[in-house]
Amino acid sequence: MAAPELVQTDPEGIEGIRMTWNNWPRTKVEASKCVIPIAASIQPIRPHVDLHVLPYIPLRCKSCSSVLNPFCRVDFTALLWICPFCFQRNHFPQHYNSISQTNLPAELYPNFSSIEYAIPNYPQNPQNYNSVPVVPPTPIYLFVIDTCVIEEELDFAKSALKRAIGMLPDNAMVGFISYGTQVQLHELGFLEMSKVYVFRGSKELSKDQVLEQLGLSSTGGRRAGTGVQKPGGQLSPTAGSVNTGINRFLLPASECEYTLNSLLDELGTDQWPVAPGNRALRCTGVALSVAAGLLGASTVGTGARIIALVGGPCTEGPGAIGSKDLSDPVRSHKDLDKDAAPFFKKSVHFYEELGKQLVSQGHVLDVFASALDQVGIAEMKVAIERTGGLVVLAESFGHSVFKDSFKHIFEDGEQSLGLSFNGTLEINCSKEIKIQGILGPCTSLEKKGPAVANTAIGQGNTTAWKMCGLDRNTCLTVFFDVSSSEKSDPSGTNPQLYIQFLTSYQSSDGQTRLRVTTVTRRWVDSAVGTEDLVQGFDQEAAAVVMARLVSYKMEMEEAFDATRWLDRNLIRLCSKFGDYRKDDPTSFTLNPSFSLFPQFMFNLRRSQFVQVFNNSPDETAYFRILLNREIISNATVMIQPSLISYSFNSLPAPALLDVSSIAADRILLLDSYFSVVIFHGMTIAQWRNMGYQNQPEHQAFAHLLQAPHDDAQLIVRDRFPVPRLVVCDQHGSQARFLLAKLNPSATYSNVHEMAAGSDVIFTDDVSLQVFIDHLQRLAVQAS
Amino acid sequence: MATPGGPRPGNFPPNYSTNTLANNMQNLQINQQQSNNPRGDAPRPPHAAPPGQQPQPFGGNRPRAPPPGVFPRGPVPTNGASQTTLPWNPASTLTSPSSVFQPPPSFIMRTPPPVALASSAGGPVPPPPGAAPLTGPGTRPQPFISAPLTSVPPVLPQMSTSGPSNNGPTAFSSWPSQGGPHFPPAMAGTPQPPAGPPQLPTLMTSGPSAQPLQMRPYFRSPAGASPVTGQPAPPFSAPTQSMHQPSGSPHGMQAWPPQPGQVAPHPPVPGPMQQQRMYGMLPAPPPLPNQSMSLSHTGQSKIDPNQIPRPIRSSSVIIHETRQGNQSSPPPPATSDYIVKDTGNCSPRHMRCTINQIPCTVDVLSTSSMQLALLVQPLALPHPSEEPIQVVDFGENGPVRCSRCKGYINPFMKFIDQGRRFICNLCGFTDETPSDYHCNLGPDGRRRDADERPELCRGTVEFVATKEYMVREPMPAVFFFLIDVSMSAIQTGATAAACSAINQVIDDLPEGPRTMVGIATFDSSIHFYNLKRALQQPLMLIVPDVQDVYTPLQSDIIVHLSECRQHLELLLESIPTMFQNNRTTDSAFGAAIKAAFLAMKSSGGKLLVFQSVLSSIGIGSLSAREAEGRSNKTAGEKEAQKLLQPVDKTLKTMAIEFAEYQVCVDLFITTQTYVDIASISVVTRTTGGQVYYYYPFSALSDPAKLYNDLRWNVTRPQGFEAVMRVRCSQGIQVQEYFGNFCKRIPTDVDLPAIDCNKTIMVTLKHDDKLQEGSECAFQCALLYTTVYGQRRIRVSTLSLPCTTMLSNLFRSADLDTQFACVLKQVASEIPSAPLTQVREQATNVCINILHSYRKFCATASSSGQLILPEALKLLPLYTLALLKSIGLRADGRVDDRSFWINYVSPLSTPLAIPLVYPRMITIHDLDEKDLDDSPIPSPVPLSSEDISDEGIYLLENGEDCLIYVGNSASPDILQQLFGISSIEEIPNQYVLQQYDNPLSKKLNDVVNEIRRQRCSYLRLKLCRKGDPSGMMFFSYMVEDKTPSGLSYVEFLVHIHRQIQSKMA
Repeated sequence: MAAPELVQTDPEGIEGIRMTWNNWPRTKVEASKCVIPIAASIQPIRPHVDLHVLPYIPLRCKSCSSVLNPFCRVDFTALLWICPFCFQRNHFPQHYNSISQTNLPAELYPNFSSIEYAIPNYPQNPQNYNSVPVVPPTPIYLFVIDTCVIEEELDFAKSALKRAIGMLPDNAMVGFISYGTQVQLHELGFLEMSKVYVFRGSKELSKDQVLEQLGLSSTGGRRAGTGVQKPGGQLSPTAGSVNTGINRFLLPASECEYTLNSLLDELGTDQWPVAPGNRALRCTGVALSVAAGLLGASTVGTGARIIALVGGPCTEGPGAIGSKDLSDPVRSHKDLDKDAAPFFKKSVHFYEELGKQLVSQGHVLDVFASALDQVGIAEMKVAIERTGGLVVLAESFGHSVFKDSFKHIFEDGEQSLGLSFNGTLEINCSKEIKIQGILGPCTSLEKKGPAVANTAIGQGNTTAWKMCGLDRNTCLTVFFDVSSSEKSDPSGTNPQLYIQFLTSYQSSDGQTRLRVTTVTRRWVDSAVGTEDLVQGFDQEAAAVVMARLVSYKMEMEEAFDATRWLDRNLIRLCSKFGDYRKDDPTSFTLNPSFSLFPQFMFNLRRSQFVQVFNNSPDETAYFRILLNREIISNATVMIQPSLISYSFNSLPAPALLDVSSIAADRILLLDSYFSVVIFHGMTIAQWRNMGYQNQPEHQAFAHLLQAPHDDAQLIVRDRFPVPRLVVCDQHGSQARFLLAKLNPSATYSNVHEMAAGSDVIFTDDVSLQVFIDHLQRLAVQAS
Repeated sequence: MATPGGPRPGNFPPNYSTNTLANNMQNLQINQQQSNNPRGDAPRPPHAAPPGQQPQPFGGNRPRAPPPGVFPRGPVPTNGASQTTLPWNPASTLTSPSSVFQPPPSFIMRTPPPVALASSAGGPVPPPPGAAPLTGPGTRPQPFISAPLTSVPPVLPQMSTSGPSNNGPTAFSSWPSQGGPHFPPAMAGTPQPPAGPPQLPTLMTSGPSAQPLQMRPYFRSPAGASPVTGQPAPPFSAPTQSMHQPSGSPHGMQAWPPQPGQVAPHPPVPGPMQQQRMYGMLPAPPPLPNQSMSLSHTGQSKIDPNQIPRPIRSSSVIIHETRQGNQSSPPPPATSDYIVKDTGNCSPRHMRCTINQIPCTVDVLSTSSMQLALLVQPLALPHPSEEPIQVVDFGENGPVRCSRCKGYINPFMKFIDQGRRFICNLCGFTDETPSDYHCNLGPDGRRRDADERPELCRGTVEFVATKEYMVREPMPAVFFFLIDVSMSAIQTGATAAACSAINQVIDDLPEGPRTMVGIATFDSSIHFYNLKRALQQPLMLIVPDVQDVYTPLQSDIIVHLSECRQHLELLLESIPTMFQNNRTTDSAFGAAIKAAFLAMKSSGGKLLVFQSVLSSIGIGSLSAREAEGRSNKTAGEKEAQKLLQPVDKTLKTMAIEFAEYQVCVDLFITTQTYVDIASISVVTRTTGGQVYYYYPFSALSDPAKLYNDLRWNVTRPQGFEAVMRVRCSQGIQVQEYFGNFCKRIPTDVDLPAIDCNKTIMVTLKHDDKLQEGSECAFQCALLYTTVYGQRRIRVSTLSLPCTTMLSNLFRSADLDTQFACVLKQVASEIPSAPLTQVREQATNVCINILHSYRKFCATASSSGQLILPEALKLLPLYTLALLKSIGLRADGRVDDRSFWINYVSPLSTPLAIPLVYPRMITIHDLDEKDLDDSPIPSPVPLSSEDISDEGIYLLENGEDCLIYVGNSASPDILQQLFGISSIEEIPNQYVLQQYDNPLSKKLNDVVNEIRRQRCSYLRLKLCRKGDPSGMMFFSYMVEDKTPSGLSYVEFLVHIHRQIQSKMA
């Protein structure tokens, strides 16, 4: 009926974890022979119907501080539990006295491998919550809006902002910065008139400078009392903090909504003149550092987001990505490759530092970029990703991609993204396992330990990570390694391996939570046979991990040949796990666990992740950020879109991602994650243009036309960022969104073979068939 | 204009509108009356009546309407021509009760020769101890002298009663006969210092005759009688004045007056006779007429302090034609009231020369010791009765100019060759007449159209500038207000005063679409305001980075007045309350002006800054170095003048940049502390602005002045983005310019703004010889933009005769101008040289000139006489006053002195004199006087002897106005004038009010008239004896002897002695 992707049962389960290999090779050598690295894609705060929230503090192993879990061995008589990671025997505390086989606490139920603790005072972060009981800090939303845009765009952005502010919870603290050539920080707490602090766009400001100039500096004090104090200034929910001065700039949404709305009404486009032939002077970098600096005065541990609406490239001050001269185009991939992007490195360095500052403060940078030109996502990526920020790239603030996505982040209830703050991920694992690092929206906390591997991938060299911002869909890829010295361990004694993920975070309602997910997997001795390994292979996860890894390598390694690397690995994989007679391509078969993988690789090779030259560096960065933070099934769609066909003769059905699926009397629905395309065949389009759907006798046609739209809406609604919806007709210009994703089985070279009403793709790319042929030949001949 | 160069008589500069100007000073916040103007402006012709051009009270010594018989040579032009000698016996001359000062233009001071001293040892007069020496010279009654005089029964009543009036003639007249005899005893009581002896010889030897023996007794006897060794003062200084200096110079002076009876050889002679006699004595007829004053000690007379030269106010308005009979006519004194008819030379208001004849060679000039300089005030206010300056439009080609020196066409360009060519009077080059400007010559060699074309018959014209004279569109009139809102500014009320002043002044800003305004406040950061109309309320934009400032908006900070008036008013009302709880004590003054400048950079304009505290943070921040100087005494004293220099170059560099972008800064300093004016004033000086100083700021009495100063500042005739150059005929060239401007190239001065009050001194030097009999021309060209956006070139040409005769130079010397130049030069020296040196320099200027005159023009007169050239007879008095002025006193506050120095820099000639020698009048008897044409009574000499305890006096110097209330002033008068019943109730902070009585009304009239004359609202202060305010008042009594300064008489003697020693 539906495509496999659509009907998939919940592969992540309550744990929210998918691994490339669910049965692990025991040795390093074996692991490397498996080609696909051992990696887990985890979704740290995945909502699940069965998830239990426990209102007490978890028990921790006194040696490795892992949390009590269903895999612990419990001695009910001695009231002891044995940690599965370090084998430490721990006594249950007094209040667990009544524990017995039949009276288990929830955290020991085997089906609660994932469980959450809601704790008012989480001892793991003693520095955040001192002995004083603290009102949960309310999150801060600091809006940063670019005014170097045309009037129309600004109006769109303003109305989006107004709607957003209306949706914020009453107690959420709100701040507002507008910028263009200069940065304007609005003092919302000043009642007499609109009051704005203006910072020059060309000068880099440290956090201390920002605070000093705003009169928020805790030291120095020369400006203590600067500005006009509100008589009887009210206490904000950040009570207990010394820096009451920040209340001048951040006010509860309920108090400042009116002020903000009128302020937005008055806000005009940037007035600094733009010389002819030049880009507008836009100081995104300074605006963000002012925002970060301001937040630096907020109470430690308060979650805060900088929500930046960026309308064009930064050309002024630190973080500039290009020259002011319009005749110099913004850097392309080619420029980056040839080291011909003079601003790039400096800008990236600036954002790295900004990211560090934000991470140390625990704050998030979200960027909503809407421009036809690039705005510098490629440079900002580091700051966005490290802080776990959201990013949306659209063409216009009036476009639904921006509008709906922006609205989405403030939505409550079912649709809520569940934006959370100040997350920390810790991983405990069995001794044989080493952690190489994480790809995804987080920052290494540099917490060294025996589980740290020698080589690092992504955010490595640690067993703990900071996620300043995270949400329900946030997904991280953890790369594991197997300790080479594990040979000595008697394999029989412990066939299971254990990994525990501890995620503490501040939920959107301000509560502090600790999610404990403990998983176990089986060791297999691949020397004996590959059967167990093959059974435990998750080809979707593997494809996504390969995509993430190849993207990472493309960024990190100079002159990295991604296609070649993917091909070689695929060939190696097929050589190892395929069934064939040597040098006989026709004999080649693959186990069903692997059968889709070559096709994923084929599409990955053609995807925007590898073929970056079709995109701008900004787009590439954007795609990669999302690739890294999305769950496996979504990421799979990014690599290999799904295609559904609608026609009179049959129910909607998945169609081959192939040009041959195009037919004149069909409607196709393509979901490539970033865009959703509804494609009308020629005949359908003609009928529709003639208005048959409006005639009562052709209701069936109307239904046929409507069906893909309904399905598309389903996809669009749940997704963040909202994909671009493209409705097009065969041979129309927008049809390229579909054609680019299809397997070019029919090109101009074999057009005569095709059936009428079908379509061809004008490309020299090889088709899947050719690719598979070559693969088979190479797989069987290799070593 | 159809014809190039055609006059446009109707098109005079728009600024000079009677009403607006008249209103400026009329609309005083307090006591204002529409008809307040005592002068009765009603009959005035249109274009005029700006304050400040009323007749100066000190008319100088050239009496306009001398009473018959006073002048020996009636027909001789009064200025400088008459030589008069001061009668040593004053009474006789003064018998005429007609007017106080008028007749006695000259006198002789005689110093007793040493011989006399010796011979008079056994003088006939036994000096009774206890008499005040001053009573003697003071034919002016001395109310203060009580004790000694009691022994003089008949005289006393007279003296004391007539005292307060002023140099009342009646008192004098009776003096010699009655009082005279009594004085000797009085004098005798004073232990006249023996200090004298060493000095005496020099002083007195010169005496040609030994007559003045009478001196002797006084000196001797006290010396003998008293045990005092060498110390002069105590006995003499009976009441307030201590005339004494160890120098002994006073001896002679002291002695003269009290000895009338002994002046045997020369009995009191009436003035005229005296003059004649002296005249006869002087050598060489041509030069002689020039010298009018001599101080001699020809035995029979002594200096009568009453008769020594003092400024005299001319009573009537002088009509001055700038040229008569194709000859340049010497201008009336700058301080007098005159109406100019421009008949070829420019009005002396626009340009005056220190000497009205130009020495042909540098030798002649240097021999005279005088300085050759011009004081140029290109936009000076005209007299209401004067013709407006005509505007000439030459069309596209622009004004006709000499192709070599670029001098502008003027009446002295000589057309030859049937008018086809003309010879430039500046460089001598022969130019082709442009064809469309050609005109035939008449039989007199002049162009036939010369009288129709203003540029050919007027000394001052204004040309319409063509595109050639513009680097950009004429700039709009931009006014940017920058207000201090730091804690102290708020709490002292300075912020509120500034806001209120600005608010009231908005309506007075030039009308029209070209007027733009902006506003900002500052404390430790800078707050701009977006006044754009579309906004619902003004938007405050804060620039927090005061180390490296910037403007927070490109536009909308400075907006058209018409678009933002309501916002502006609202904002100004709310600023004081908005910041009322401000606890910021810091001030980022430097950063604030820089930021404001950046906002104004694209247009230029006027930046009006209201500052209250020392700039303490950000760029250009300063330290309280005055206090440091005090605490570190030794270093402080060694380089005391360092505090008068800017602390570093930061502000100077900024100011030059300001000037480059045509931003002019005016500072209104409303403070109660030290703000380092020396450093910050650099900004105003360089940008053509000025400093207003309200110290100590009083929220009660100062806002009115602040408002009026601001109002005058924005409404007075003024121009923007100006460039000025003075060209001279061949042989003379400009040496240097002094004033408030920025100079980037040697020949021009850049004036981001120029107004009617600003004067520039231009020193000149010879680079060649001039031809005797020829004329030397000076042409000042000012290219500027009017507030209404017209680009104009105002050209003033002054052509003066050349001479080789030294005597001509002295005869045509212009005292006011010369002194103004000395003042400016001395002021500019103060910060860079030790005070003693500057003082000496100032004295030497006076001595050298008088010496030169004495040596070369009065050779025949006796060396015992101090001969003063008529034209310069007040030079010693002014010099003395200068030495006692704030700037040259060591005891003043640093800021006061800095302000003084800055005040002097752009000061016009008519205001320079009162600054140094203020005008004092009595006001308790205002209603008793019948003043025909001026509400201001005649001035009283600045001497404590003229201050009576019953009197109430008003003293003003163009900036401050002190009202001194004598301790015995009548309660009735106090009630009438001030609404108080006793002197104890005199308030510290005084606001002039008008009560319903004639006296009060007259006082208000007087004050308003002064305000108008001075273009200044005046800081009024009530003073009384025994109070710091009284001390301040008496510090203006420049003729008094003070601990550190000579009395006037002593000073004359000092000068005389110096001259004699130079002669020897």
